[in-house]
Amino acid sequence: MTRQKVLLRHVESGGVVDADLIDRIDLVIAKRAEDGWQTYLATARAEALAAKRPFPDLEHDHWEWERKVSITHRLLPYPTLGIECEGQVQGLMLLETDGHFARIATQAGSPVVYVNLLATAPWNLPAVTDPPRYRGVGTVLLAAATTLSVDLGFKGRLGLHSLPRSEDWYERLGLTNLGSDSNKQNLKYYELTPDQAQNLIR
Amino acid sequence: MSSKKTMTLNLTDSEMAALESLSAEKDVSKTAILRQALRLYQVISVRLQLGEKLFFEDAVSKDKKELVVL
Repeated sequence: MTRQKVLLRHVESGGVVDADLIDRIDLVIAKRAEDGWQTYLATARAEALAAKRPFPDLEHDHWEWERKVSITHRLLPYPTLGIECEGQVQGLMLLETDGHFARIATQAGSPVVYVNLLATAPWNLPAVTDPPRYRGVGTVLLAAATTLSVDLGFKGRLGLHSLPRSEDWYERLGLTNLGSDSNKQNLKYYELTPDQAQNLIR
Repeated sequence: MSSKKTMTLNLTDSEMAALESLSAEKDVSKTAILRQALRLYQVISVRLQLGEKLFFEDAVSKDKKELVVL
């Protein structure tokens, strides 16, 4: 497990804060994320119910990070990355480095790093917490995945299937939308080319 | 990202030819091919140690042949 410094934006103050980007998260971090996120969500749901406010149906609160990390944390083809800031896990990502190949015609068949799971803590989601605590968690993680792709010799190529609420975000980051994938619950498939990767990590 | 260590690798002509061919076919460097081979070898080893088996399946007949890994 290694750590490097990254910056996140603290929304309420408008300033930037130091955070740690963790390469290869372990079970302790996965458990801390799972416990912290679920506890926060339970409280936020209860408060919304008491105040008769609607509560969003989150698309990614069932990903069982602890179980997934326990399966993958020693396996080289499944890197995990996380971000910690002020003692709390702000986001997690599970990647697959092998067995996924590009679909865009100009790079078809070339290997890509596949983003299997990418999640930010619930207090960073505007739909749950307004204003959210930190911004930039997902962008830092996706840039780290792109950097890993470069490091592996894949020239920054990434592939991923997006949950519906994240589609706009991936498009704003410059990924190419290749349409619904009937082999993956009709989720839209997105890909990053080497040129797009340069824009994301510069 | 993790720091890297450098090593010298001695390959025969035929091994180097195979590596260069894969590197060109997959559009990645020779180092990338060998690092990928290590990743795949490790995950296969772990799964075999857990008692699983690795098979190739014929696309038409669906016949399966076990791949024996050292």
